Amino acid sequence: MVKLSIAKILQIALKAGRVTRKYPSEQPLLTPEFRGAIRIDPTKCWGCGACVRVCPPNALTLTPKDKVATLEYFVGRCIFCGMCAEVCPANAITVTKEFELSSTSIEDLKSGVVHRLVRCSSCGELIWTEAELRATVKSSPISEEYITLCPKCRKLKFGKAAMLGRGGSSE
Amino acid sequence: MSKTFDDIVKQLVDMGGVVEELKASEVYVRVPRDRLRNFARFLYESGAYFKTCVGVDERQLNNMFAVYYIFGLDELGKDVVLRALAPEDDAWVDSITSEVPAADWCELEFRDLVGIEPRNRLVRRLVLPEDWPDGVYPLRKEFKYDMRPPVGAFREELAEETGIPVGPYHPALHEPEYFELYVEGEKIVDVAYRGFHVHRGIEKLAESPRFTYKQVPFLAERICGICGFVHSTCYLMALEKAAGIEVPERAEFIRSIVLEVERLHSHLLWLGVAAHLLGYDAGFMHAWRIRERVMVLAEYLTGSRKTYGINIIGGVRKDIDLDKIDKTMRTMASLKEEFSKLTEVMLSVPQVKSRASGTGILSKSEARALSVVGPVARASGLYRDIRKDYPYLAYKRVSFKVPLYTEGDNLARLLVRVDEVYESIEIIKQLIDALPGGSISVEEYEIPVGRKAVAAIEAPRGEDVHFIITGVGRPYRWRVRAPTYQNIPALRAMLRGTPLADAPLTIASIDPCFSCTDRVVVYDMRSGRRSSIRITRGG
Ligand code: SF4
Ligand code: SF4
Repeated sequence: MVKLSIAKILQIALKAGRVTRKYPSEQPLLTPEFRGAIRIDPTKCWGCGACVRVCPPNALTLTPKDKVATLEYFVGRCIFCGMCAEVCPANAITVTKEFELSSTSIEDLKSGVVHRLVRCSSCGELIWTEAELRATVKSSPISEEYITLCPKCRKLKFGKAAMLGRGGSSE
Repeated sequence: MSKTFDDIVKQLVDMGGVVEELKASEVYVRVPRDRLRNFARFLYESGAYFKTCVGVDERQLNNMFAVYYIFGLDELGKDVVLRALAPEDDAWVDSITSEVPAADWCELEFRDLVGIEPRNRLVRRLVLPEDWPDGVYPLRKEFKYDMRPPVGAFREELAEETGIPVGPYHPALHEPEYFELYVEGEKIVDVAYRGFHVHRGIEKLAESPRFTYKQVPFLAERICGICGFVHSTCYLMALEKAAGIEVPERAEFIRSIVLEVERLHSHLLWLGVAAHLLGYDAGFMHAWRIRERVMVLAEYLTGSRKTYGINIIGGVRKDIDLDKIDKTMRTMASLKEEFSKLTEVMLSVPQVKSRASGTGILSKSEARALSVVGPVARASGLYRDIRKDYPYLAYKRVSFKVPLYTEGDNLARLLVRVDEVYESIEIIKQLIDALPGGSISVEEYEIPVGRKAVAAIEAPRGEDVHFIITGVGRPYRWRVRAPTYQNIPALRAMLRGTPLADAPLTIASIDPCFSCTDRVVVYDMRSGRRSSIRITRGG
């Protein structure tokens, strides 16, 4: 009985052959659908923060400091869900097949895009990133006098203009 | 059971319950807190199973604490939820454990986490560690999710004898667990269990400002390293039910297919572990070799081997195209062939049969009293399968058998899982064949505040239950009851009176999965000696 089962399992084993891959000298098994780390294209990113709001584990952060805002990607927290790439309005994020990510230094796991911030031309408060401003101008017919205002000042200005009967352009 | 749902609701009302909400699939009945056990007894006698109980801090809504006891009427496919309220300064409810032993843990849990006292029963700390300060309840709303209360000094009463260091508790495939086995010579006379070492506060996190409805599925998926998709699906089913979101049929099919793929890899994993525990490593390796095909298929279908990440509110993110259909069908065909060859060999090994049969017996009546779930229930003659009893997603559209064994021993639990692998393969084939067209997620949805829902899924380990109360932007309360929660208490019944050598296999037979370093403490009642055995000890 025992001999029989050994013979049978040998048959199975012979048929299966060697299945373990000699990684890394052999290619790892990756399907075309595999999701790895993301890459952010700094020339495309606006710094809008949509990806930050959707990212489940806080792998993406957007931190304003002085005159710049930094979008940081910390791959150590990333769960490779790809949600950020789905919501990015600028198509700046690609999901790569990169999975060999280990490092001896935590700094290697961080990458970022730095954005210059624009001040409100009326009250001087930091409002949004230069890149996002440019993108907004391109995509919507918003007049020059309004674009550099923070929402508060814009409302004020719009209200005044409306009272004088010469409404601003659409927003 | 001959009673209809209406009869049962009517009788609950006659007993003094107030129907708060009646839905097609569940009813919420408010009951006086001092008479909970009468209602529980009535439901249990009417054939209901106990699912779980939930403590909720509802002070922001109505100045009260609430407990929800969820019962499932399997034969009718409906849930009955008893709700009792308790004021803050006098927070107690009547315990139901004398009628429903299965409620033991969840009552202790709401005592620990919400601070509602279950009366007329023995209490002890279950979830919170011993050094947690008194009177600090993590699931109360004033407790911030990232708060760390100062912990007091803690000294464990060590037994007189010098103990051999036990542990480390290694998270294996699942979670660290810790048993104390009391033995007389080779015979186990009692079992004590201590768990919750890795309680991560996921429920709290989901209701914190840190998370939104949309992000929680990814969190839910990380509750379990093996059946994560079950949890994200179950969370979404509860949420979609509460909010009245209609999921497109195609999405339901895709979710069901992925759920079955998950069951396949889970059962194959377990089978490997079981073979390993029996000292049959050839079986272990081949089971895992076959399993690898399923893992690759899962990655191809979803983008990830595990934690698939395709579940979103109102559907899924990834469609199944013709290539994927083809690959799935081919994988199923080869899987079936290889699996049947392997199990034939495995079951013909005399040691496997003799070690597994007649050991770790759980009788039907004990299984019933503890409301055990999944393969553990089906191996003890309880015909329970959520896919049949409460058909969800696309399961109403497929035909399959529910394997049933009456022996209640380790072999029966093994055979249930072997049979289920075949059934899952057939289910996947049927689902692929009948895959309807259309979109895979809804475009828009709204989630009203203050809605409640219960959802359940047949996970590889048994019934997984999620309960949700919707809030603003995120759940107000979300409760998860994983299948193992229900099955671990049954181990006591399985282990008592059995030889020590069978313990590792029996513990593993409910599929909680241990790593090779996890140990149990053995306490010899005659000599008072304490020692530890490695749980993988083959015999
Ligand atoms: S543009 Fe895209 S990558 Fe840049 S912040 Fe917005 S969502 Fe993120
Ligand atoms: S892939 Fe997911 S986890 Fe990683 S950065 Fe994008 S959203 Fe965050």
